[in-house]
Amino acid sequence: MIEGYKLQPANFNPDTPKEFVLLSIIAQSFFQPFSLEDNLLVILTALTSGTGIGFNRAMLFLKEGEKLKAAMWLGPRSPEEAEAIWTMLSSPGIGYAEVVEHNRELISQTMESLQPKLKTFSYSLEDDNSLLPTLAVRRKEIILVKEARQETLVDLKFLDFIQVDSFLCLPLVAHNEVMGEIVVDNGITHAPINTKDIELASLCALLAGNYIYTTSLYKKVVEMEKMAALGEMAAFVSHQLRNPIVAIGGFTQQLLNNPCNPERCQRNLNIIQEEIRHLEEIIYKLSHFLKIKIKEPIPIDFKPLLMRILERPDIKAKAERKTISWRIADDSPLILCDPLYFEEAVTNLLDNALDVTPPGDKIYIRACPKNKKWLTVIIKDSGPGIDEKGREKMFSPFYSTKENGMGLGLLFVKRVMETSGGKIEVQSKPGHGTMVKLYFKAQERGPQ
Amino acid sequence: MKKILLVEDEKMLSLLYEEELTKEGYEVAVVHDADSAMEKVKSEKFDLIITDIRMPGKDGIELIASIMGMRKDIPIIINTAYQSYKDDFMTWAADAYITKSSSLNELKETIKELLKEK
Repeated sequence: MIEGYKLQPANFNPDTPKEFVLLSIIAQSFFQPFSLEDNLLVILTALTSGTGIGFNRAMLFLKEGEKLKAAMWLGPRSPEEAEAIWTMLSSPGIGYAEVVEHNRELISQTMESLQPKLKTFSYSLEDDNSLLPTLAVRRKEIILVKEARQETLVDLKFLDFIQVDSFLCLPLVAHNEVMGEIVVDNGITHAPINTKDIELASLCALLAGNYIYTTSLYKKVVEMEKMAALGEMAAFVSHQLRNPIVAIGGFTQQLLNNPCNPERCQRNLNIIQEEIRHLEEIIYKLSHFLKIKIKEPIPIDFKPLLMRILERPDIKAKAERKTISWRIADDSPLILCDPLYFEEAVTNLLDNALDVTPPGDKIYIRACPKNKKWLTVIIKDSGPGIDEKGREKMFSPFYSTKENGMGLGLLFVKRVMETSGGKIEVQSKPGHGTMVKLYFKAQERGPQ
Repeated sequence: MKKILLVEDEKMLSLLYEEELTKEGYEVAVVHDADSAMEKVKSEKFDLIITDIRMPGKDGIELIASIMGMRKDIPIIINTAYQSYKDDFMTWAADAYITKSSSLNELKETIKELLKEK
């Protein structure tokens, strides 16, 4: 006998301890590709929902530079609103995902009216005389405030805003660095905050602090990768531009220095013109590559497109004395891709194949449905093949084996395939030619 | 007459260098890739080699290593559009590192210096 259980239970057994429910909910959310804001919302929800710790309201502060700034507020604005929300949320069939969704809605509603007010809460973290809530992060200590009106360490403006007698300040700290703070209270029910609540809340704060920390690290890494790619690109572009510029400069210098015989003059001018055209081409190719935008792939009938590529004059000229053997079934399914990118990608690959195939030899194009979901377009050349080193580098930007190659062609094809939900595979061995396989998502043709 | 081997894959640039260096009074042999350069070095005697770094096939750094293995006494000048390879210690084996420029003066001066030392 076998029994099946859900991977991520939406509702927990009523006997399951609160702590366990809370942790598993937060853990689940962290493995989702949620944004920082969404995950912080999950933590605020854990602090405030009935299945979580059950505080009435939560307010999030984030550290920005040397300031602690209010960023989010979650909770009903009046006892009536609270009553309505809690009745709704405790109705059967409402799981945690619904609660988070509801809270997102609630925050976007309340934030509109609260935003201007929240913006005024911006505390300096360098002030030695800081009051609560800032004092908690200054001390890196959870602070429970009771009888707030009598407490001189509470900021009065803040107290006027939250209007409660008792609240809990939870500093968000990771690697001994302050990330922010969460303030929770029971401003509606006025239930006392007990030790168990504080223990559970501290766990949430620990998770929130570390989550903010790793998110900021991740952002830094992405930024650094971007900078490195930019540096590589700058080096490559300057190299590409430098060669024609040196030629232009050098031949101009010759014109200026030498008493020119007309033939030499004419030759130099022709070279200069040619190199300027080359520069233009580099700039065109680069800007064209940088402009690729992700377009929604649409179902296309690729056979006529392929036929059109084979009829292109530039392709025909290159294919002279070489044979292009193609086989495409008439009842091939449609494929998902942007038609313009499909044409450019295939032209690119065919151009590469023609470059390496010696006169008298063959290039093969095959399109065959793999199964109901996929169709492959295969282009195979009779060139020298690519060794392991070349195969490793071939998708790197600016890597090229051609004299005037920019090294952007294969990368372009790869990007087109990825944006179409497909993929590219290359099989090659020195001496055996190169086979490029494009996997497209297939779609059955509708009744004609 | 001093003999120079020029390894440069860019056709227009090799024409320019060939003309300019011939005018300076050198005998210039031009090849467009590292493999042909190796062939030349094996069969002929040169007083100096000028090479680019990034070329189709074997690159200039590998070429320098192979030539050094064969003929340690030929001075080598790296003449390239890449500034970044200057920090690559593999290029230190060369006697000079020149960033390509539309003025050929630096290249000409360096050739003169290196040939004088010999």
